[in-house]
Amino acid sequence: MKPQHVTTGIVLTRVDYGEADRIITLITPDAGKLRLMAKGVRRVKSKLAGGVELFSVTNITYIKGRGDIGTLVSSRLVTHYGHIVQSIDRTMLGYDLIKQLNKATEDEPEPDYFHLLDQAFAALNDGSVSLELIRLWFAAQLLRLSGHTPNLQTEPDGTKLAAEKTYEFSFDDSSFVSRPDAPYGADDIKFLRLVFSGNAPLVLAKVANVAALTERTWQLVSLMQQYTH
Amino acid sequence: MHILLIEPDRLQAGVYAQALQRNGHTVDHAVSAQGAVHLADETTPDVVVLELQLPGHNGIEFLYEFRSYYEWLHVPVIVHSFVPPHELAHAATLTKELNVVRTLYKPDTTLQSLCAVIAAAGPVTA
Repeated sequence: MKPQHVTTGIVLTRVDYGEADRIITLITPDAGKLRLMAKGVRRVKSKLAGGVELFSVTNITYIKGRGDIGTLVSSRLVTHYGHIVQSIDRTMLGYDLIKQLNKATEDEPEPDYFHLLDQAFAALNDGSVSLELIRLWFAAQLLRLSGHTPNLQTEPDGTKLAAEKTYEFSFDDSSFVSRPDAPYGADDIKFLRLVFSGNAPLVLAKVANVAALTERTWQLVSLMQQYTH
Repeated sequence: MHILLIEPDRLQAGVYAQALQRNGHTVDHAVSAQGAVHLADETTPDVVVLELQLPGHNGIEFLYEFRSYYEWLHVPVIVHSFVPPHELAHAATLTKELNVVRTLYKPDTTLQSLCAVIAAAGPVTA
């Protein structure tokens, strides 16, 4: 009998296979990305059906397959971020974040990606955290995990960023460069430092003037994403 | 045509179903996303008419689930909802990724225009 493995996972995709089976892709903290055949989950009374929900963290038991698809033996819901689906916009952003993470983890993912998605769900589940902030934070974290954190400390020549100066961003250097009347100031850079560090959105939401800072920095982070892809 | 109507308000569903039946369609009614998936499995709809605000799993969840099955990838879905289209932050996703053919705002949509949109969205018959 093949050994069974136990881990925790978040469902990224579900596609059907045959009449009653589904292939589920999960991101896990210790086993990377898993593709598992979930047998019989399309049947109404399947005991697995409740445990493979999206926007959830699930304990799973599985058997490794010969190829890259294993078999899901059982699943148990650990955390269901049920408030997400009470809002159409939060649901749509949730699916979008899952899609982005799935794309970013095509190669062997690090455990941090699991925690990133878990934190994103927690933020989406909390109605007090704005969608704009979650979107910004998630994009910044994907950049960070892929090794594209911008230099938020010094100019390209090593000069420390100063509170009294204004800056524009150089995508070639991935750094801020001082210029009079440039669009970014000390508050924006401080906020970006927080966004690119390990702070969860629930913490960032408490920053003073967060809505305006989010709006001002979103375009920059979005352009960073485009530049690195 | 076989229409799957996903509408949580039974009274409204009755009105829509009557109008659609008068136009020669067969209507199956589901009040929830989960019920709709089961009904789609049993009835193989030609067109789906969907309210986004549903009890439990919402209409967006239904759409992602529905589109994850090969046999339902190309079934036309018409969103007919109390959610104003301009308030949908990801409206483009509905059309591009989830293949929603039209998004109708209920207060602005007459029964006649709903029937016309459904007729236009349905499969072409010889």
